[in-house]
Amino acid sequence: MSSSTVHSGPWFGDFGGSFAPETLMASLLELEEAWKGIGQTPEFKEELSDLLCNYAGRATPLTHARRMSEELGCELWLKREDLLHTGAHKLNNALGQALLAKKMGKTRILAETGAGQHGVATATVCALLGLECVIYMGEVDAARQKPNALRMELLGARLEVVKHGQKTLKDAINEAMRAWVSDPEAHYLLGSALGPHPFPALVAGFQQVIGEEALEQIQRQAGGLPDTVVACVGGGSNAIGIFRAFVQEDAVELIGVEAGGEGIETGNHAARFSGGEPGILHGCRTWLLQDEGGQILPTHSVSAGLDYPAVGPEHAELQALNRARYAWCTDREALEAFDTLSRLEGIIPALESSHALGWVRSHRDSLSGKRVLVNLSGRGDKDLASVFAQRDGGET
Amino acid sequence: MSNRLVDKMNALRSDNRSGVAPYVTAGDGGMETTLSVLHALDQAGASCIELGIPFSDPIADGPVLQAASERALASGASLNSALAMLSRFRTEGGQAPIAVMSYANPLVRNGLSETAQRVADSGGDALIVPDIPLEEGAMLEEACALCGLCPVFFAAPTSSDERIQEAGARTRGFLYVVGRVGVTGAGTTFGEETQSFLNRAQKLSQAPIAVGFGISSPESVRAAVQNADLAIVGTALVQRLHESNKPAIEADSFLRELLQGLN
Repeated sequence: MSSSTVHSGPWFGDFGGSFAPETLMASLLELEEAWKGIGQTPEFKEELSDLLCNYAGRATPLTHARRMSEELGCELWLKREDLLHTGAHKLNNALGQALLAKKMGKTRILAETGAGQHGVATATVCALLGLECVIYMGEVDAARQKPNALRMELLGARLEVVKHGQKTLKDAINEAMRAWVSDPEAHYLLGSALGPHPFPALVAGFQQVIGEEALEQIQRQAGGLPDTVVACVGGGSNAIGIFRAFVQEDAVELIGVEAGGEGIETGNHAARFSGGEPGILHGCRTWLLQDEGGQILPTHSVSAGLDYPAVGPEHAELQALNRARYAWCTDREALEAFDTLSRLEGIIPALESSHALGWVRSHRDSLSGKRVLVNLSGRGDKDLASVFAQRDGGET
Repeated sequence: MSNRLVDKMNALRSDNRSGVAPYVTAGDGGMETTLSVLHALDQAGASCIELGIPFSDPIADGPVLQAASERALASGASLNSALAMLSRFRTEGGQAPIAVMSYANPLVRNGLSETAQRVADSGGDALIVPDIPLEEGAMLEEACALCGLCPVFFAAPTSSDERIQEAGARTRGFLYVVGRVGVTGAGTTFGEETQSFLNRAQKLSQAPIAVGFGISSPESVRAAVQNADLAIVGTALVQRLHESNKPAIEADSFLRELLQGLN
């Protein structure tokens, strides 16, 4: 890929970098060397490609959502990462990194998880490759994504429930990084396109298969490029995975959808580009929700996977270049989209992916007649308890 | 430009002595308490005091310093209030070199150079930033050079010889040597492995060595300074201050006890 040389980090314009404690630098340098060495060999690529195809189920289909298209007045296509083994795009990265870690001689994997999809994907590949696995998950997330917490244990991972801070994704990353500082011989399998170099570029590299497939599929099935590509953005790995293939296509509009929570004006959201400013967190310079003294602010989203105060640095660069636009979708709009897709298409989307769909529904007027490609990054079975609790008027 | 920390480290070396550098979290127990603790530590014989600015997400810290940060933030502490307190420490005659420790984000929030200048104007002598490694160090060096602060870099047991050499050449005041892999708090045992690492750091670095992470008694101070110029005591002191009704008195007596490890 020509794009992989452009996007190899450590800097994405003014964003990214290597803001990690010295204890971790040797591990980060070792990882970068393995990625640029072993990771680029034909043998590695073939082995990964075989796993992606024959274990994970790639290529995932591209589905023309006909009934929802009719309702919205646009031509809606869904990239079906929900059909990937374990139910979300997270497995693409987990397989790539775990295979690399195994080649590096690592025997132990540490990972954080928010919605639990990355935790499940990591536990899955560790079972597959015979690696020890420890997953850090905030207590609030472990409760609202209970099916995933149970799946991780079933897959043989040790689940460490994080009980401080907001008890969500940010705190799980803090704890996973502390665990890695104490155990630098382990591999930290970071789940999104963020963190210190080389993670943002490494993770995006393993996720760009989504866009490569979608680009070929939509041209073949729909007869041309999409007008707009839409993806939800927590850390931003599914979004960068689909965007990368379309960045060079100037006519294609790229929209990243952040969690609008209860609305930007309430302050209870996770829309970094709408309510934040650049700063440094978890190893990279990027857009953050922070106060005037540089303390990180609490976030809110009905979706555990988007409930995070920072965003991947490559998105920060795409926004600075005006190549992608970052919008938001509220909890309510996402929940409505969750229902609509379930009823019109027989597809229950993850609450994360529902934010991309919710944005499309709220912008149907400006999208009228257009070909819209949404990355359906995951399936929503994990969210049933949250969604029904919301309906009953309770808090998730 | 003269700098209290550089002068102090030079003086220790020319006298062939070592020192103890206590760490306190600014605003834990209230900023007035921190001010009284700084004076107590200064008068009891601290060679340098590390003043920690609380941060919401301290990824290199263990549970005790995380809790101290949370308490300080909950009581309203900030970089601004810590620097105002530091100015008073100087106005009231405080002499010890002060190394301000913070994670990157609170320092870059309003411009790193502007902030470094304010630290210097308030009487600070060095900036210690655990999430600014050599790779990103130029920004720290530039900001510090403009106002005469010491930019402090780290060495860890995982660091290669080349990295320790580079850190030793680029750091000022002292090289912060992490005694063992891990977050702050749990005890470092100064066994053969740690001593041989400290010895490696000493050989590779021209700069004085300050070793930290888990030093909590006169015995561990004694062991630490066998191959180091400064023993940094953080977690043990922060915990004692938190549990004490009279933190300034506790700071005085604990530091005097630790200093016995130097004899």
